[in-house]
Amino acid sequence: MQRGEKLALGVAVAGHVVLFGLLSVGFLATPNPLKLAPQPIQVSLADDIAIEQTSPNPAAEAAPSVAPEQGPPEDAASPEPTPVEAEPEPAPEPKPAPPAPPQPAPRPQKPAPASSPVPQPRPLPKPQPPAAKPAPAKPAPAKPAPAKPAAAAPAKPAQTSRGTGRDAQATAARPRGSRLGDDFLKGLSDRQTPSRAEAAPAAKMGAQAAADIGSAILRQVQPCANRQVTPGPGAERIRVAINLRLNRDGSLASRPRVVGHTGVDDENRRYVDRVDDLAIATFVGCSPLRGLPDELYDVQNGWSNFTLRYKLPG
Amino acid sequence: MNPVFNLEAATLSPVALFLQADWVVKLVMAGLLLASIWTWAIILSFSARIRRTRREMARFERDFWKTDDIEAFHRAQSDSDLPSAQVFNAGVEEWRRSTAANQIDREGVRERLGTAMGVAVALEVEQLSDRLNILATVGSVAPFVGLFGTVWGIMRSFTGIAAAQNSSLAVVAPGIAEALFATAIGLFAAIPAVIAYNRFSHGVNKVEAGLNRFADGFHTTLSRQLDGAR
Repeated sequence: MQRGEKLALGVAVAGHVVLFGLLSVGFLATPNPLKLAPQPIQVSLADDIAIEQTSPNPAAEAAPSVAPEQGPPEDAASPEPTPVEAEPEPAPEPKPAPPAPPQPAPRPQKPAPASSPVPQPRPLPKPQPPAAKPAPAKPAPAKPAPAKPAAAAPAKPAQTSRGTGRDAQATAARPRGSRLGDDFLKGLSDRQTPSRAEAAPAAKMGAQAAADIGSAILRQVQPCANRQVTPGPGAERIRVAINLRLNRDGSLASRPRVVGHTGVDDENRRYVDRVDDLAIATFVGCSPLRGLPDELYDVQNGWSNFTLRYKLPG
Repeated sequence: MNPVFNLEAATLSPVALFLQADWVVKLVMAGLLLASIWTWAIILSFSARIRRTRREMARFERDFWKTDDIEAFHRAQSDSDLPSAQVFNAGVEEWRRSTAANQIDREGVRERLGTAMGVAVALEVEQLSDRLNILATVGSVAPFVGLFGTVWGIMRSFTGIAAAQNSSLAVVAPGIAEALFATAIGLFAAIPAVIAYNRFSHGVNKVEAGLNRFADGFHTTLSRQLDGAR
């Protein structure tokens, strides 16, 4: 080996040592190797469709409509003047009349069909109903349940706490569907019927339904959320509690408000305002929310005033 | 074999990647690193050498064609190891040996002169291109050696998956990263070697052409001289 080659060998060794030393101390290294470590991600399991009302047993509504049509038990019911008591009484009565149960049984999911059993379990009385024609006509269109919210919504958004339109119809239909007049129960006037119907629609949105609606809303704003750019490292850990005031058609009644934060730490504290703006922009951007169940709009904890937690994607 | 990879140490640091690797992969990496060092040593020394050689050859030929007294020029250059000087010395010595006798076979002398200088040219070129075969070998073999290390390392990673019953990226990624590092080193060694080999081959060819040109010119001069002799 010549002298020049020895010199070159020394230079080459030194160059390699310097290069690999630089690489070892992090020169050109990946900026954040911690990304290799698995970080826990949040998974929310949500039913796709199961947005349903958590309501009292709908059988309680069906019962009184049948009750007055049966002669002998009606006499037993009549001595009790209180309207409240009238409810538990009729309940057992549908059982003695088994022809009806097969129909109400599949229905209980929907509170709406409460009125439909009225005409159906009674094929016999039908000759009479023709006298009051409007009554049978109404339950028929009522059966396609989806059609009803559209009609009822603009009419009485605030009335639902007292009773849905359907229930109002039900009260109207009941006396007409029976052979008896309005005064078939002594002391039981029309006044009380709406108050009795209060029990059914006083549905409260349960936790499951609230979670379903929350995830349904989050799904719908996802396209807008994906457009947001995370303002800085750690900002995606901020979870914003955001309050939405919604109209019945799913549009925003007012600008969303941020009502709280979690996950704020020293690193991302300065991004809080920015994240608030981004969250509001997300919900405003995808604002007409669709497919939310109408019957849960105005109930207690319904989605007319809904608070959910949101965080930036990423 | 330990299938559990340490995630905390899974960085791109070459030392960490080397230390985590299997011993076969380590061997491959070490060999490729040595090849890279040797390649660069050759590149540095050869490029310096061939540049100096060509510069001095150009000056030598300029001096040679300017000189009037070849004997004096020969004495001045007799201990030079420059390729042109070697060819020149070979020609002058053959000339002296051939013209020492009383009878001169002109054709035979011309042929011997040509042969002697051709041999000198071949010898110089051979010495000059001595290290180039190493560059060629490294350039063509290093990628395959690196690939071998990578395949071995990935095989080991898959064995790790099987042992851990877990195919998540966290289990596979470090092993594959360290395996790919072997290919990276192979390419790191091979690419400069291939480039240098092509470049130096071209340089050696040019030196050889220059030597041949000089030898032919000198041969012509001697041949002309031969015509005037006796």
